Amino acid sequence: MGEAVKKLDNVVIICRCNDVTVNDIKKAIEMGIDDFELLRKYLRLGFGPCQGRSCIVLAARIFARASGKKIDEVLSNYRVRPPIVPVSARYFTRGAEA
Amino acid sequence: MRTLVVGAGISGLFIAYELVQHGLRDVTVVDASYPGSGATLRNLGCFRTSFTSPEHVVLLKESIRRWLQLKDRLDFEITQKGYLWVARRPETLEGFKKLVEFHHQFGVPTRILSLDEVKEVEPRLNTKIVAGAMFDPTAGKMPIIENFVKLYIEVKKLGVKVVPYTKVTKLVSRGSKIAAAETSRGTIEADVFVVAAAGDSRDIIATAGVDVPIVDIPRHPYVTEPYAKTINPALIIDWDTPGSPHMTQTKLGSFILARDLEDVPRAPLHSERVDAIPHILKPLKELLPFLSRVNIVRYWMGYYDMTPDHHPIYGPVAPYENLYIAAGFSGHGMMMAPVTGKLIASWILDGKPYIDIASNLTLERFRVGRLVKELAVIG
Repeated sequence: MGEAVKKLDNVVIICRCNDVTVNDIKKAIEMGIDDFELLRKYLRLGFGPCQGRSCIVLAARIFARASGKKIDEVLSNYRVRPPIVPVSARYFTRGAEA
Repeated sequence: MRTLVVGAGISGLFIAYELVQHGLRDVTVVDASYPGSGATLRNLGCFRTSFTSPEHVVLLKESIRRWLQLKDRLDFEITQKGYLWVARRPETLEGFKKLVEFHHQFGVPTRILSLDEVKEVEPRLNTKIVAGAMFDPTAGKMPIIENFVKLYIEVKKLGVKVVPYTKVTKLVSRGSKIAAAETSRGTIEADVFVVAAAGDSRDIIATAGVDVPIVDIPRHPYVTEPYAKTINPALIIDWDTPGSPHMTQTKLGSFILARDLEDVPRAPLHSERVDAIPHILKPLKELLPFLSRVNIVRYWMGYYDMTPDHHPIYGPVAPYENLYIAAGFSGHGMMMAPVTGKLIASWILDGKPYIDIASNLTLERFRVGRLVKELAVIG
């Protein structure tokens, strides 16, 4: 069971925007990244078009387990940035001053 | 000797790195938030030598040399594809010519490009509205997050103690020395104190009764979805539009677009402005028409920690014998970080900077009114 789960870590995708697997997260933690915001930015979690909708909570849970921190503490610095969904540049250029 | 560095950004970590390289064993770096949480992880990751003052040119030449020297040792990713400074007006191109002469005095190989040469460097540029350009081949870019994380892990391996989420609330002086720093998580005593906390350096050093003229000015970069490699230079700058709109394409293909807009000094880090997007996009779209079709995926704020002469403040903080500052980089802290580390280490260990010209950048200059003069001001 344990070995099978470990193998799955290589193929289970946490972030679908940037193809980040469970293993990528575990490796980054082993490498010495000991802060969730740093980990998130290093792996570009929440940087894609979905703005972290699917990955952030999953990644935060893996990080919380590995670091022994509470999930609220892990996510305390996380902020969603605008826009909520990708917006075409053409909506922004009409009537703007140069 | 116990050293406390306030600020775990790229400057603070390079200072710690150099101190440890010089044999210091007891180096602690504290940060009010997580490592790199300020301007370090919010900037565009671009660097250049093409500045307009001898101080900047000399220090940036050394800093880029040091970045490249450390590239192999710390496994940094760095590319040098140059900056393209675009002049829309012929007068601006004349200004660029004077600037190139100035750069050549310092061995910086900038050059003026004719319209044909501009087309060669960047075929997508709309040269119909352009007079020419200046090209700085020493300039480049780096994935700043990856490089910062590598440096962070390295300094920890070297024995530096990095303590996040610890805000310095007061520097406690005793006679001509700083004795301790009171923090949100207790008091830390040390023999030497270095404040490298960007705009927050002002508030921290004010608790020791010294005025530091740094003001945080908000900046509003935004980033698009990734696209195949589209532009050649590391950065394209529209010099003739106020606030010099500029853009880079990251390693993974996203365009980052930015412009220096008028804003409220020290506005909170999450006072986003929707109007920033059209102001930045419109002039850049004139130069690079494909930008009208990109998708904007994310927008964030950061600060330039500005000083009155737009140059950093380095070195000792009088009247204290053991207090140093490295802040006020005015938008250039990331590119200057390696030279910052070496300068502050030499100040602490040898009593003077290892590059003479850095003495022009002490806090003292504001008291005696000897601000840095830009010798070549462009158009």
